[in-house]
Amino acid sequence: MEAVTGPLILCIDDEALGLQIRKAVLEREGYRVLTALDGSSGLNLFTGEPVEGVILDYFMPGMDGGQVAIAMRRQRPEVPILLLSAYVNLPQEIVTMVDFTVLKGEGPKELLAKVRRMLGPPEESGMAP
Amino acid sequence: MNLREFNRILRQTLFLPVLLLLVLAGFIIWQISRSSAELRWIDHSDDVMEQTIRLEKLVLDQETGLRGYQLTGDNSMLAPYKAATVPIAKRFTILRDLVSDNPTQMGHLANVRDRYQIWLGYAQGVLNKDPAVVSDPRMNEHEKELMDNLRSEVNAMLMTEGHLRKQRAETALYIERRELAAVLVSSLVVGVLLAIFTHSRLRRVSATYDATLEELTNRSEEIYERRQWFQTTLESIGDAVIACDGDGNVEFMNAVAQELTGWTMQEALGRPLNEVFHIVNEETRQVVENPVDKVRRLQTVVGLANHTALISRKGKEYVIDDSAAPIRKEGGEIRGIVLVFRDVTEARRSEAALIAAEKLAVAGRLAASIAHEIHNPLDSVANVHFLLENETDPVKRKEYLRMAQQELSRTMQISRTLLSLYREPKAPIPVDLKELAEGVLLLLDRRVVQQGVTIERQFTEPCVVEGFPAELRQVFTNVFLNAMEAAGKGGRIRIRIQPVAAAELRPAGAMVEVVDSGPGISEQVTGNLFQPFFTTKGENGTGLGLWVSNGIVLKHGGSIRIANNDDGDLKGAYVRVYLPTRTMANSSTRTTAHVG
Repeated sequence: MEAVTGPLILCIDDEALGLQIRKAVLEREGYRVLTALDGSSGLNLFTGEPVEGVILDYFMPGMDGGQVAIAMRRQRPEVPILLLSAYVNLPQEIVTMVDFTVLKGEGPKELLAKVRRMLGPPEESGMAP
Repeated sequence: MNLREFNRILRQTLFLPVLLLLVLAGFIIWQISRSSAELRWIDHSDDVMEQTIRLEKLVLDQETGLRGYQLTGDNSMLAPYKAATVPIAKRFTILRDLVSDNPTQMGHLANVRDRYQIWLGYAQGVLNKDPAVVSDPRMNEHEKELMDNLRSEVNAMLMTEGHLRKQRAETALYIERRELAAVLVSSLVVGVLLAIFTHSRLRRVSATYDATLEELTNRSEEIYERRQWFQTTLESIGDAVIACDGDGNVEFMNAVAQELTGWTMQEALGRPLNEVFHIVNEETRQVVENPVDKVRRLQTVVGLANHTALISRKGKEYVIDDSAAPIRKEGGEIRGIVLVFRDVTEARRSEAALIAAEKLAVAGRLAASIAHEIHNPLDSVANVHFLLENETDPVKRKEYLRMAQQELSRTMQISRTLLSLYREPKAPIPVDLKELAEGVLLLLDRRVVQQGVTIERQFTEPCVVEGFPAELRQVFTNVFLNAMEAAGKGGRIRIRIQPVAAAELRPAGAMVEVVDSGPGISEQVTGNLFQPFFTTKGENGTGLGLWVSNGIVLKHGGSIRIANNDDGDLKGAYVRVYLPTRTMANSSTRTTAHVG
């Protein structure tokens, strides 16, 4: 797929199927996507890979999205984070810490719009052809 | 006056008159004996006179015999003369004894004897045919003179004795009169004394009687006042009170009882309780055992079964809560029964509202999880839809559709589980607690994830008990949520479900044990856990969860026990829910509304 040149997004969600579908959506838009099923493996990828943006689920076993976001901010505060949640009442301090929030159920268009605002259109970024 | 004093007075009024009368009787006897002594003297005179006359007669008999002999010379004529000799001597002896106390009469008697001796000398001369006597005609004259002297002396003696007798009779009469007067006077005195005494005693008794009467009146007034006070107190009690006698007939009803039963006190008085206090089971409409019979049977305080409805005389129905207690005499024998009850219709309604509120609160606690559970697959489906719009590759399209289907079926499952919280069969059905727990955990899954709680499941085999699944789900949801909240972030929970064998006082059933790794519960909290509106969660809890859960479990015939877990690796609290295999719950006790 040509989209391999787009910005690298790290997608963390414990919902395997949802994660897989979300990855497909993002890749169709031209982003490169790394996936992790929990916070700690996500943080490993974040440390090891040149991740340019993070799409993070809030509810996860083990570390929740808030804890993961804090850890990421400590490492590389410049990397934008989009917090994804089905939970309407996210803790306020987490909401203010992350760059964007999207509610699950708002639809792919909303998600993509926010990702675009976060990273710019995929074709304009980094290693454009 | 007390009884002792009264008895003393009674004794006085009995003994004193008897004593006085005895004295009087003694006095009268003395008087009579005095008078009879006088009468004896009269008898004495009579005796003297009689003996004198008999002596004279004997002497005359002798004289007559002697004269006959003189005239005829016939010896046989002397028989009276001879026969009188010994009696005459005897008369003289008797008379001497009789008059020995009287010198005058002694003198007379001596004279008589002398003259008799002289005459006897003459008579001897006649008998010996002394010629000087026989032939001298003057001797006849002499004999006559001797006899006359004798007679005159006898007469003098008789006269003296007669005079004496007359004197004695007069004395006796006088004494008799005096005695009569004395007896009359003493009787009068005794009578008056007795009258005065009796009067005084009677006055005393009467006074004390009056005092006692007054005291009794006062006391009865006091008793009446106390009775009124008790009556007013009973009347003022907000609960209904009915008191029955030992046979179960109504003796008293307060105003509330009159209002609830529809009987006035006057109408109900003396009627059997079950005629006035008509109670049935709220659901089955069967007549409930009369509490009076129950108290008599069990000899102790009894409460009414739940769901008891009182039907008033006018047909109005009240859900009531009551207790009946025996009224005992000092010896412990049952004298009556007092029944206290209250209209709990409103309270029952409020309770039902609270139970409903708690059901909603459980739903509220689950709302976040449910939203998550539904939004996740929805999000995926929306994403798939987006992908499908631009996808032409049939293989990929098919793959996307499969994914969407998978997510949709998950949504369906969630929604089914959620509905089952509220859908309830009419009668208890077999419930697999393992499946039930899994269903609840599915709903709580997100919550578990969010809290980072690890759940250890120690249930593999199906464990089936009878019950109402939605209600039991509510219990499990509460217990699991509490455990999760207690365990806190990163905590652990162990859920064990296992069958338990029958034990003393407990039939076979299942035990669900939930242990958490939290801080445990404090002692002061333990006692309040099952009270409504008691919460340790501040604004986050309704305080109804365990109260409702306990109600549900009790209804199923089970029990909930909460304590700190001291053994094992988890040092928090444990909740043990025991449920019997055969439930005691029935359709009438179901608290959950029936939903289609």
